[in-house]
Amino acid sequence: MMRRMWIGWLVVALLVGVVPPATAQQQKIVVYSALPDLETSLIHREFTRRTGIPVEALSVAAAGTLQARIRAEKDRPRADIFVGGSRDFHIPLAREGLLVKYRSPVAAEAKISPAYLDPDGYWHGWYLGALSIIINTERWDRELAPRGVRKPATWDDLTRAEFKGHFVMPSPVTTGGGYIFVAVQIFRLGEDRAWAYLKALNANASQYTPTAPGTITLLERGEAIVAMMWAHEAIGARILRAAPLEVTVPPDTGFEIGAVSIIKGGPNPEGARAYVDFLMTRTPQDINARYGFRYPVRADVGVPTGATPFGQLKFVKYDLEWAIQNQARIRERWTREIGR
Amino acid sequence: MSPLAVLRWGEVRRQAADPGLALTFLGAAGVLVLFVLYPAFRVLLYPSLHDYLAIPQSLRWMQAAHNSLVMMVISTLSATFVGLLFAFATTRPDIPGRRFFRNIAMLPLFAPPFMVAFAYILMFGRLGLITHTLLGMTANIFGWHGLWMVQTVAFFPLAMLIITGVLEAANPSLEHAARNLGADEWSVLRTITLALARPGIAGAMLVVAISVLADFGNAVVIAGGFPLLATEAWFRMEGMGDLKGAALVVAMLLVPTVALFLLERYWVSRRAYTTITGRGSRIERPPTPPLLKGLVVALCALVSVLILLVYFGVVAGAFTAVWGRDWSLTLSHWRLAQDRIWTLWTSVKIGVIAGVMTGVVGVVVAFLTSRSLPLRNCLDFLAVLPGALPGVFVGVGFVLAFNATPLGGTLWILATALAFWHLPMGYQAAAARLKQIERSIEEAAVNLGASGLRVLWDVYVPLLFRALVEAFAVSFIRAVTNVSIVIFLISPGQVVATFVILNMIQNNIWGAAGALTTMLLLLTFASIGLTWLLVGRVVRTTAVAG
Repeated sequence: MMRRMWIGWLVVALLVGVVPPATAQQQKIVVYSALPDLETSLIHREFTRRTGIPVEALSVAAAGTLQARIRAEKDRPRADIFVGGSRDFHIPLAREGLLVKYRSPVAAEAKISPAYLDPDGYWHGWYLGALSIIINTERWDRELAPRGVRKPATWDDLTRAEFKGHFVMPSPVTTGGGYIFVAVQIFRLGEDRAWAYLKALNANASQYTPTAPGTITLLERGEAIVAMMWAHEAIGARILRAAPLEVTVPPDTGFEIGAVSIIKGGPNPEGARAYVDFLMTRTPQDINARYGFRYPVRADVGVPTGATPFGQLKFVKYDLEWAIQNQARIRERWTREIGR
Repeated sequence: MSPLAVLRWGEVRRQAADPGLALTFLGAAGVLVLFVLYPAFRVLLYPSLHDYLAIPQSLRWMQAAHNSLVMMVISTLSATFVGLLFAFATTRPDIPGRRFFRNIAMLPLFAPPFMVAFAYILMFGRLGLITHTLLGMTANIFGWHGLWMVQTVAFFPLAMLIITGVLEAANPSLEHAARNLGADEWSVLRTITLALARPGIAGAMLVVAISVLADFGNAVVIAGGFPLLATEAWFRMEGMGDLKGAALVVAMLLVPTVALFLLERYWVSRRAYTTITGRGSRIERPPTPPLLKGLVVALCALVSVLILLVYFGVVAGAFTAVWGRDWSLTLSHWRLAQDRIWTLWTSVKIGVIAGVMTGVVGVVVAFLTSRSLPLRNCLDFLAVLPGALPGVFVGVGFVLAFNATPLGGTLWILATALAFWHLPMGYQAAAARLKQIERSIEEAAVNLGASGLRVLWDVYVPLLFRALVEAFAVSFIRAVTNVSIVIFLISPGQVVATFVILNMIQNNIWGAAGALTTMLLLLTFASIGLTWLLVGRVVRTTAVAG
């Protein structure tokens, strides 16, 4: 009898123990972050210190997943903020009516270029990144340099036969970086020649990683010698982890405007606006430049260590509207014709 | 109608008429339909017929299906072979180190599902301790061959446990008889030992095959650009937010796993021709031929080293400055891991809820199916069915079925998914205990006027305490180490340790990943120890992995 009661109480205690007591704190905000855990948590620690608003975050280094979540939760939005990932991922959500307009007074105050802000006010750009060619110098020096191979400096160089089986990049089907790369080739070459180029490149590819950081991981470990990837990821790996990587931003490259947006119907709209305001200030952009090596949009935050100033890069003429309109079709064609 | 049938019918009527029992039955059936059947149907009915018909046109999916089947065949064969080897070694009294082999072989069962792959990248990858630093070679472990090795080590213990059971039941006198009739050692082995083990081997192969097909954790870490169905479902969600695609892929995965499951349950497990005389044979097993003995010991030792490397690699990774480049010792990874230690606490909370649910539902359902109630076979089927479902299938199912309900976004959705996925373990443990309970105790209670529910509470619950603890422990351990369901149901505020570890592995933050995994292992082994203290038996987390 005693034993049974004891078990019963044990079960009750366990169940009660796992239900969190209601706390009378300032209302938290919920953030979906497409940035890595490290930068996200540093920025959020600072945000909470400044505003007193606690943050509950989910960091997934794949903006597509978060975009999908926000779509799936549209009837009962759980998050207030979608942060990180190129504007390419925010714009479709805005068009589907899942975001709220907001114009941060801080952005106007800081005189942030209108090029980085949505004219309709659905998203605010707060960092920039450029696509680049990255090589693992350790393996390069050991395996390719002795054979007199020239380092790749342009997108076309990547299709050279010396790189067969040594090339990796993030999948255009699952990642933003991969998709922007494909769009860049189409804007650079026209659609027909672009597909011929992609097929030639495919002959060199050892794999397309399903998440963007996966590419840098493979290159860093020396599982591949050449990669196409965001320059800042490689610079970060080189500086923070002493990875033997060399970064070249080729002409006709593509870029991302990393955005933040407010989800319609989220639990804490006021906190969400405070969050957007905060990202427009110096501190978070500085943290992001320091630990994520991404370019800030504020003129008064320094260029990240090891990066060429953004203004000196040569970009392809990127037709954002076309890239968004044709996203599904291009991914479909990739799956059909490249098939991996 | 024979008198016996009348008697039985009477019992059915008596029990069905017990209102408490009938209500419990309805309640349990309702819960199982809601949390087992409903999510499964949501997945299967989410894509349209047209979507299903379009599957063969997708090059990538056909490739993934092909690869999954190839891996299933090769990993099942190798894992079953190694399992047979260990089973043989541990059932022969004259094999040196048999206890050691048996204990070592249990270790992979307690490892989180990505751990073997993670450790082997550290050991045998391009920057691997063995391949790069010690041997100076350039190895590429990513792809099917790396996955093959990993799955063999991860899943052979399942095969070993099943085959051991059969070999132990085999009567040694048959081997003696064969030898007396003039058979040489190899013929004895071939025509008696292995022949008797055949149903065990077949059963082991089916169970391992389901695990290999459903394996998400190892595949996502080590398969590289090699598409497989289990990982493809996640990539669909992760990269494209394509829920329909994910549902299609897990539905494709379900066909072979359910087929294997039904085959195992209704065919193989029914033709176990264990020796007629049953257990308790006291005859000594004949000595093993020396050549065979040497071979078995050598191979078992090799595999044991491979298993120890799994644990060594992860722990060493947690204390090494930069793996592959700077081998100095450091504690800095533990600081980063400590920063994320709250995720471990979330894991524990979810594990406790899942464990309690699995235990309670398992015991109640086991009690109900032991009564002569109508439709009890259906209840039994529902309770074992999750064993056939891959984790990614359950994950997608719960997203589709419950994400839009108030359950969505809370830790309860994750805990419920895990609890019902592990239900077969809790249920089968309880059912096995119930079979041991002397029926007369219950009859005595009934004769003294106890109702059906009273019987459950006063007679069975105390006796089932051990089953409950076991079910709790198995479900808890598997819940805190799960990844395949977690990655679909994770939400802010419920970030669990395995999710963070997986991200760290993928982002090359190996040190902190190793440190957090080490903490997770400590938690696992602490709960095994605690369970052992409570019920005096070591928990076996035998079931479909993923």
